[in-house]
Amino acid sequence: MLMVGWIWGLLFAPEDAVQGNSYRIIFLHVPANIFAQMIYYFMSVCALMHLVWRVKLAAYLIKSAAPIGAMITFIAIFSGAIWGIPTWGTWWQWDARITSTLILFIMYLGILTLHGAFSNLEKADRLMSILVVVGVVNIPIIKKSVDWWSTLHQQASISVSGSSSIDPSMLYPLFISVIGLGFTLISLGILNSHSYIFTREKNKRWVSEHV
Amino acid sequence: MFNLAFDNFNAILNMDGHGIYVWLVYSIGISIIVISFVIARRRIKIIQNKIKIKNASG
Repeated sequence: MLMVGWIWGLLFAPEDAVQGNSYRIIFLHVPANIFAQMIYYFMSVCALMHLVWRVKLAAYLIKSAAPIGAMITFIAIFSGAIWGIPTWGTWWQWDARITSTLILFIMYLGILTLHGAFSNLEKADRLMSILVVVGVVNIPIIKKSVDWWSTLHQQASISVSGSSSIDPSMLYPLFISVIGLGFTLISLGILNSHSYIFTREKNKRWVSEHV
Repeated sequence: MFNLAFDNFNAILNMDGHGIYVWLVYSIGISIIVISFVIARRRIKIIQNKIKIKNASG
């Protein structure tokens, strides 16, 4: 599905009147940004479940999702930087959207580093969950940064509730790319959580019986 | 909507001078995603082997 969206966007969608063909980066950049934020929301829900109800699996899911979040945030920043060269004439600008996304990337790395720093894994799970909950304040800042501050990054072209300013011939492949990347990342999340749950529960009987 | 936006293969690669940016982004992006899948699958194999060895040794 991801490939359908990308092939449609790269080869069949019309050229943009202002940005030319460089806008085709949108079919990777926008889905990557959407999931960079959505994965953090997912992690914060898991963090609350772990802190409030002591659900062990929730902490395992955070630990499995964080590398995927870091990976997709890196892709979002990298694709944006490359897109900036032909569009803005610069690959980096300390603008509100880019800076807050960079903070998100650092948050993902920080979460992984914090968890890796403790030999007591239960304590690591708890502290990691606290950090995730604290860091969730950055997500609405990323979303609203283009509205609150008038900077280099353009305002949102796509809206879930209102009308989108992007033409349907570009919007449809973008929508398919978003759904496709979502399924791809869910598959990766299942694989990551599979190995991490086995790693943490390797001494349990059910794991031995399952392998 | 389903007409090819380019005349030939060279035009697809070049994209009026923007091809280098577009193809660089997609090649790096796809590589990172594929490597993530390879690492994830390898991790599962490693942990399964460890558990199998542990089971075999009693």
